[in-house]
This record gives sequence, C-alpha cells and structure tokens, in this order.
Amino acid sequence: MKFIKNHLMFILPLMAILLGVEFYLVFDRTTDSYEKGLKEGYTMLVVTKKPMELAELQALNAHISSSEKIKRKNIVSEIAKGISVGSRKEILAALPYFYNVGLDSYMHTSRLEKIKKDLEADKNVKKVETFGSSYSSAYRLFSFIKFTLKLFIGFMAVVSLFLIIKQMEIWKYAHKERMQVMEIFGAPLMLRSGVLFKVAIADAFIATFLTSAVFLYIKFQWAANSGIDIMMQKQEELFKLGDMGILLGSALLIVIIAVYSVVFSSKGVQE
Amino acid sequence: MSNVISASHLTLAYDNGAKEIIKDASFNIKKGEFVFITGPSGSGKSTLLKSLYGQIRPKEGNLVVGGLDLANAKQSKLQELRTHMGIIFQDYKLVNEWTVAKNVVLPLMIAGYSVDVQNTQAHRLLKHVKLAEHADKFPLELSGGEQQRVGVARALAKNPVVILADEPTGNLDDYSSNVIWDLMENACQQLETTVLVVTHKIPTIFSLPYRHFIIESKGVYEVH
Repeated sequence: MKFIKNHLMFILPLMAILLGVEFYLVFDRTTDSYEKGLKEGYTMLVVTKKPMELAELQALNAHISSSEKIKRKNIVSEIAKGISVGSRKEILAALPYFYNVGLDSYMHTSRLEKIKKDLEADKNVKKVETFGSSYSSAYRLFSFIKFTLKLFIGFMAVVSLFLIIKQMEIWKYAHKERMQVMEIFGAPLMLRSGVLFKVAIADAFIATFLTSAVFLYIKFQWAANSGIDIMMQKQEELFKLGDMGILLGSALLIVIIAVYSVVFSSKGVQE
Repeated sequence: MSNVISASHLTLAYDNGAKEIIKDASFNIKKGEFVFITGPSGSGKSTLLKSLYGQIRPKEGNLVVGGLDLANAKQSKLQELRTHMGIIFQDYKLVNEWTVAKNVVLPLMIAGYSVDVQNTQAHRLLKHVKLAEHADKFPLELSGGEQQRVGVARALAKNPVVILADEPTGNLDDYSSNVIWDLMENACQQLETTVLVVTHKIPTIFSLPYRHFIIESKGVYEVH
C-alpha cells in the first residue's frame, strides 16, 4: 500500500504536468488551424484610383499576401440597373478600382490600422476599409481563450511542480541513508542513485502511458461520439503518435532534474 | 615497511577553517599496524578518522593515505581510495532496507563483482562473524552487537588495506565487544591489514602489539 502511495505521489503531479503539455500541444494545433481559417477568411477592401498589382501593394506593406481584383463591370451592373448603356460606360469610367486584400497572419487591430495608414499614404489609394470592429471582436475572443488556457496550464504546472518538490523531500528522506552509506564505501554517483533512477524512470513511463491513454480515449471514444462538430472535425489533432515522444521526453527531463537534485542534496555523511 | 598513512603538520578544521580541531599533527602508520587513538570527548578523534577517508580535507599540512594526497585528491580518486578501506561506525550505518547479506557485500557490489561471487562471499563473511543464520534478516531485527558484527563483516568484505573504526564497541556489551576485537585482531594479524581504532578505552584483553596515539589540546601524541 505504502509502495503504491509513494509511486502515485510522484505519478499524479507528473501526469498533471504532462496533461498540461498535451493540452498545450492540442490547443496549439487546433488554434493554429482556426487561426488559419480566420486569416484566410479575412480580407480588407482597398479602393484605388488606378489599377495596382500585388507587388505594388506589398511594397506599401509587407504583410499583404494576396489581392483579388473585384470586377468593376459586376459592380456597375449592380448599381446601374435600368440605366442606359452610355451612362453605364460613364459610370464605369468614373468608378475606382476595388481589391480584396489578404494578409499573411491573423493580427491585432492596431496592426491593421498601421497597414491601412501605409496604404492610404499612397496617392493612388483612395480608401481602405479594414472592417475592424467585427475583426476585433473575433480577435479578442480568440486571444482571450488562448490566454486563459495558457494561464490555466501554467498554474497547473506550478502546482504540480510544488507537489513534485514535496515528493523529492520524501525521496530524500527515504533514500538518503542508503546513498550516504554507499558514498562512504566509494560508490560512484550512478550506482548510488541507481535505485532512485529506476523508480523515477518507471514512474515517468507510467505517467506518460496514462496521459497518452487519457488522450487516446478522448480522441477515439469521447470526441468521436460527442456529436460536437468541431471535436469530430478536429479529431486527428487531439493526439498524435509524436506527442507520446514529447510527453516521455518531458517526463524523463523532470525525472532527471528531480533525481539529481535529491542525489546532490544527499551528499556527505550524516553526523 | 612502507607507510600506509602519513600526516605532516596536519591541521583539520570545521566552519570553513574557522574552528581548528587538530593542529600541526605529524605521524606515520605502517602496513599491518594496529593503532588505537584515544582522547577526551570532543578532542577530535572522530574528526581525525573522517579526514583519513576524505570526509574532511586538511586545512594545512599533508595527509597521504595509500599513496593519495588527500588535500588535493579529486573526488573520483577519493572514491577509489574508499573502495580499499573498511570503515566501521559506532552507529553501524547499515542500510536498514537491505538484508544482512546485502549489507555485507556492499563493497563487492561497488567493485562490480558478480552476484554469484557476492552470494558466496556473503555466506563466508557471515559465517566468519557467526551470523550465517541471519543472512536474510534485516538489520533492525538484530541486536546492537549483531549489527556491529555485520558492520565488521562489511568492512572485511574486500580484504581492505586499512580498517578505520570509530568507537566500534561504544554501544556494546562485553561479549559483543570481545567478538569485535577478535575479528579486527585477526584481520590485522592474518591479512596484514592496517587497523585504526578510535576509542574511549583500550580493551584490557588484547593480544596483539599496538601503537597508541592520544589527542589532547589539538595535538596528536604517541604514547610509548
């Protein structure tokens, strides 16, 4: 019972950190594709006196990644219904040029304003419409969710680290006597810390396995049967095989730091 | 015979050198000698012993053990030196989570001997200290005298060049004390092991010739 309790006291906080790491990975992947969708769905409207190529627009601001010319004839046909052909031609001649301009990333509204200023600085550009208000609310919501989750993961990691430090104190108490006796008789560091390493590495593997199992369950059971569109669409993003390597690497790194801290703080013979 | 331990103008201190315990001590101990170190409580007997296995480094002077200059030795060299020593403590310093047999073969385990050799040696050593039937017990299941015999068996496990014993019979009854002295006498006589014993009192019945050092007022003096 004591044996299981001792292991759980390290495995659980380690799992909490690994869950945090995996949440971060999953969130990063899903928000990346969401951000990509927002970016691709967003364009600003640029009105120019003369036709402008993409390169000319990019020369004004490097964040511009695409431009799509809106056909003027279509605009005229919309606004000049029932007007004579001659008048239509006059309207067409007087009509400026319209472009849907795309950006290379999803950015804050202040940066949109900067792009607008850069474009309007050109004498050929008559008007730039950023559609800032709808863009801003989506951006703020997105940023808020991103920040909240990162804060939560950070908080969880800090609490878990405190629990791991507590467990290190227990390890120190439990293994100090043996390590010091071995040190007196000339045992090298690796031999002295061997038992502790074996215990901790076993715990790292168990914590990685359990964390992976949680996410595999979420991916193949919960998400698949949840009926939530976004979960079903993003099912592939929920857990990838490479994540297991990242989790194991993180767990082993924590274990190595924790064990060496205990080993070095146990050096010297107790009086 | 060559010196196993050689101290020259040795000063030992605690608190980063602020508190001197031994000052300007010089002595030599040869292979196969049995040495008692006595002195009042707090005189520095245990400190001197700790310096011999590198737990405390000299503040001044030279201290050479088994050819290694302990003032300047690297930690790895110190570790190696300790594998040629048998150290016995008043409080036994056994690993309570290990069986008696495993405690005894610790020096062999450190030296990388195979499990078969360790098992054979554990049986031989425990028979030697009359504890063969206790091999699978844990230290806390034994009496103080028995635990100290385990400590002595561990110290003898690798036929050490030097045995350092800090009050080995301090907590023991007369019977257990006599057994411990016999074991150390035998090691000295049969294996030519150098034995240094820190003690309050030299045993009244002791068959071997020995040297006696006394520590007083920070000095180490030989009693002739």
